[in-house]
Amino acid sequence: MTTSTSSGRRGIRLGYRANLVGISALGVILLWVVVALFAPHMIPHSVGEIVDTDYFGPVSRDLWLGSDYLGRDIFSRILMGARYTLGISLAAVSIACFSGVALGMTAAVAGGWLDTMLSRFLDALNSIPSKLFGLVVVAAVGSSIPALIATLSVIYTPGAYRFARALAVNVNTMDFMVVARIRGEKLPYLIASEILPNILGPVLADLGLRFVFVVLLLSGLSFLGLGVQPPYADWGALVRENIGGLPFAAPAVLFPSLAIASLTISVNLLIDNLPRRIRDRSPE
Amino acid sequence: MSDTTTNWSRSDDAMIERSIRGGASRRELLKLMLVNGMAMAAASTVLGRASQAVAATPVKGGALKAAGWSSSTADTLDPAKASLSTDYVRCCSFYNRLTFLDQAGVPQMELAESIESSDAQTWTIKLKKGVTFHNGKDLTSDDVIYSLKRHLDKATGSKVAAIAVQMTGFKAVDKNTVEITLASPNADLPTILSMHHFMIVADGTTDFSSGNGTGAFKCKQFEPGVRSIGVRNPNYFKGGPNVDSFEFFAIQDENARINALLSGDIHLAAAINPRSVRLFDGVNGFALSKTTSGNYTDLNIRMDMAPGNNRDFVEGMKYLVNREQIVKSALRGFGVVGNDQPVSPANFYHNAALKPKAFDPEKAKFHFQKAGVLGQPIEVITSDAANSAIDMAVIVQATAAQIGMKLDVKRVPSDGYWSNYWLKAPIHFGNVNPRPTPDILFSLLYKSDAPWNESRYTSEKFDKMLAEARASLDQAKRREIYNEMQIMVSEEAGTIIPAYISNVDAVTEKLKGLEPNPLGGMMGYAFAEYVWLAT
Amino acid sequence: MRRQISSLVMRRLLIALITLLIVSIAVFSATALLPGDTATILLGQSATPEAVEGLRKAMHLNDPAIIRFLKWIAGIFQGDFGTSYANNVPIANLIHGRLANTMKLAGLTAAIAVPFALTLGITAAMWRGTLYDRIVTVATIGIISVPEFMIATLAVLLFAVYLKWLPALSFTNETKSFYDLMRTYAMPVMTLTFGVSAQMIRMTRAAVVETLNTPYVEMALLKGASRPRMVLRHALPNALGPIVNAVALSLSYLLGGVIIVETIFNYPGIAKLMVDAVSTRDLPLIQTCAMIFCLGYLALITAADIVAVLSNPRLR
Repeated sequence: MTTSTSSGRRGIRLGYRANLVGISALGVILLWVVVALFAPHMIPHSVGEIVDTDYFGPVSRDLWLGSDYLGRDIFSRILMGARYTLGISLAAVSIACFSGVALGMTAAVAGGWLDTMLSRFLDALNSIPSKLFGLVVVAAVGSSIPALIATLSVIYTPGAYRFARALAVNVNTMDFMVVARIRGEKLPYLIASEILPNILGPVLADLGLRFVFVVLLLSGLSFLGLGVQPPYADWGALVRENIGGLPFAAPAVLFPSLAIASLTISVNLLIDNLPRRIRDRSPE
Repeated sequence: MSDTTTNWSRSDDAMIERSIRGGASRRELLKLMLVNGMAMAAASTVLGRASQAVAATPVKGGALKAAGWSSSTADTLDPAKASLSTDYVRCCSFYNRLTFLDQAGVPQMELAESIESSDAQTWTIKLKKGVTFHNGKDLTSDDVIYSLKRHLDKATGSKVAAIAVQMTGFKAVDKNTVEITLASPNADLPTILSMHHFMIVADGTTDFSSGNGTGAFKCKQFEPGVRSIGVRNPNYFKGGPNVDSFEFFAIQDENARINALLSGDIHLAAAINPRSVRLFDGVNGFALSKTTSGNYTDLNIRMDMAPGNNRDFVEGMKYLVNREQIVKSALRGFGVVGNDQPVSPANFYHNAALKPKAFDPEKAKFHFQKAGVLGQPIEVITSDAANSAIDMAVIVQATAAQIGMKLDVKRVPSDGYWSNYWLKAPIHFGNVNPRPTPDILFSLLYKSDAPWNESRYTSEKFDKMLAEARASLDQAKRREIYNEMQIMVSEEAGTIIPAYISNVDAVTEKLKGLEPNPLGGMMGYAFAEYVWLAT
Repeated sequence: MRRQISSLVMRRLLIALITLLIVSIAVFSATALLPGDTATILLGQSATPEAVEGLRKAMHLNDPAIIRFLKWIAGIFQGDFGTSYANNVPIANLIHGRLANTMKLAGLTAAIAVPFALTLGITAAMWRGTLYDRIVTVATIGIISVPEFMIATLAVLLFAVYLKWLPALSFTNETKSFYDLMRTYAMPVMTLTFGVSAQMIRMTRAAVVETLNTPYVEMALLKGASRPRMVLRHALPNALGPIVNAVALSLSYLLGGVIIVETIFNYPGIAKLMVDAVSTRDLPLIQTCAMIFCLGYLALITAADIVAVLSNPRLR
């Protein structure tokens, strides 16, 4: 397949063909990024302040998205939560996927003992339950946002590795790889120029999915005491602490869930609708 | 009615029942309750329960199923080791104590026929005759001595070793009489023996997994962390329980526990969140049972290290805690405002004249300024391990921010909280379970050398008063001393007790006979042998 | 080819033993890093130094942890998994029933989730870019972005509390007929299927789409081969490696990751057992559970690797 290298045909945007779904998904993500950046200036109430004597209060003129289980403003809490959910999840998923995919491709191309060692080591890592892992991190280095990001990255690297390696192993057997090897190309070139373009689509899909998992696990680890500290809370934690409002269909539990869904669905739709030129590069 | 209007007690219920008998209308009653500060939702539920209780006579039969809130592989049927409510409930159904506390907090005889002493130091306990263990063995004085002496052996791992240590001499006078000598006089012994850990087991028992006691149910199945099933003990000395069998397990997730009750899978869901009370409003077939028994979560400031070694900091914190808001927002009215001392209104010796410190941010600011800490970040350790501690921390943090005081709330894992942070961190939260006597509370928590001296409070005068009150058999004198001691703790110690927390159990209306008890929720954990299932 | 597979299995068995040992050492070190031991945890608030000392002695916890660990390893080779610190019951007795429960739940979920997810993934890839594809994507991501505890709670609210069709709790030992079995497992299996299907659907779709883009397939399509036929005959076999890996990764979650489902439906399985073991620092129990999770995971990925090798002639 040849990719369209010249711009100037159907629906041009920054030299890439894009479609409406992709652009709207990008729009939602950018919106949340803006919210995350400027949240402290946008919130109508302080996140820790109790502004409602009632709990799980309804949507009102003053409290746009109702109040939470203590009577705090949910709208403000969601805006501030965007910083944690977006920042921590993006950082963690990038680190996990970058290291996982890089190691996976290296293992597939290099093969032999390096492959075996890496694979077994990461399998072993994957076998340690995440709760135990989280508790050990709290005990060893204490609670902080970097520690939280590092923990999430370590938890999700083995999965990214295994999937990337499985894809790369298949590509590695193709004729053009044999040719490239005969040409005497070095490992970094093989990985970056021959393997990666051929597995990018599934790898990106994997990244999108891992992003969802990270967003959800984040709140679990916060509840263990690792990471975001009160009165702040990430979106998952907002859902969790207000889950008692579920039987009442309280806005306090619905809106954080919607926030999570809007972000994760957008990230995945954006990946699915990336311009073909980025997503499906094939060897020339 | 009491001055603390949110404290809905059993006596209030009794009053409602009387009024119903007297022909009061539902409307009048609701009004009466609302005037007294009860939320509409709770009021109508309580009313539902009271009108049911009027026409109640026990029915035999049925399989009782109930769910607590915590359970693990460490579940045990060894009363000395019992640590969770789940263990207490099971022990209460399989074993008996020498005494138990009634609704009013007065000790009544259970396995004991009588407990007497002339000097409060040497006590003679006569046992009831004809009581047998599940395996057929008769109850004798040897069983009692074995059961009590176990707590002194460190290898037992007893939770009440610190209390049992005062029992220094045990003598079997005859088959049914035991004589206990105390290290120093203690008039509270009958009450102490009503604690769940002092259940009587058979002499020589080392494996407790079969639950061989004298209790209302025989243990049919016990899987730690899964469930227990007991069947009616036909030879029970009190005449057998009402239900045929009793199954108990824990559903940790509060929503799941309530849903299991609503769907009819269980008859009782223990310890529900006050916010869930709304769920039962307008739903027929369910009732709530509320107990305020002296459980509390406290904010502890260690006075032997910075910043708590500065008296002004402690004073400032006491003014900073908005007790009313904690009861209103964190506990949703299911609690009573506290006054920084551990003896709750449910206790006979509670000093009702001692008023809580009023919330006053300006005074707090003044003290913080004087202590030179205003604007400095101060770390406050909190955890899910202590009931509502995170909510309380957040509330205090928000008020502090308004006067320019920065509190760094640090949430730490509940895993290992009691051994790593509690008593250790300079400022942290603690949680204290109901204890039946002021003497136990003060000895464990406030005496100069107390094992759990949360704020490192030391006072020679306090220690002397404690010993004096303990030895006295004169109730009026004891009350006077305990009143004074409550004031001392409230003003001098570094423990801030913003509220006594109520426990709310939800039950189906089929479950009858459940009553509050000062030892805790679920009728002091002993409900299984008293309740019945209406058909 | 058969020789090759059996040599791969043999090699993996050997490696599995080494992996188990590494995991065991890692878990041991992790546990050792955690503050407190079984005696302090069991005593809780009553943990005065003397009381802890006494209980430790009585529980034979005075030996250094490393000695106890080595003893446990030695025991394993004689088929003895040790005794729980927390309640003095042999580990084998504690695990027995709960492992069976976990396997039942995992088996049922896998039997439903795998065919369901593969069908959706493959069809979405086949009709890539259509409305159907979009709906599958949005629904899949939408469902997994709802936290598992919320799905489970919603299911209970709907089916048990309001409709009263199903019991809120899943008691396995009260199932007498097939109908009971269905009622008991319906909600846990549904919740888990939602959780594990997403990864399989998304990865299957991505892998198949990727192979559909290869020049060979594009050429065949240009020559007039039908799309479904190309997917089933050519794209799917080539994409099988990544797909089975995604399936293996998803299913491995069903062993140790189902803690929320076990808690909400009060279903006694080994995920909760492991959590209990960690919180009481019950070393033999932690180790045994970790070994089970690790073995399950290794079995799944080894199976995945074998399928991958079989599906790609060039890897043989």
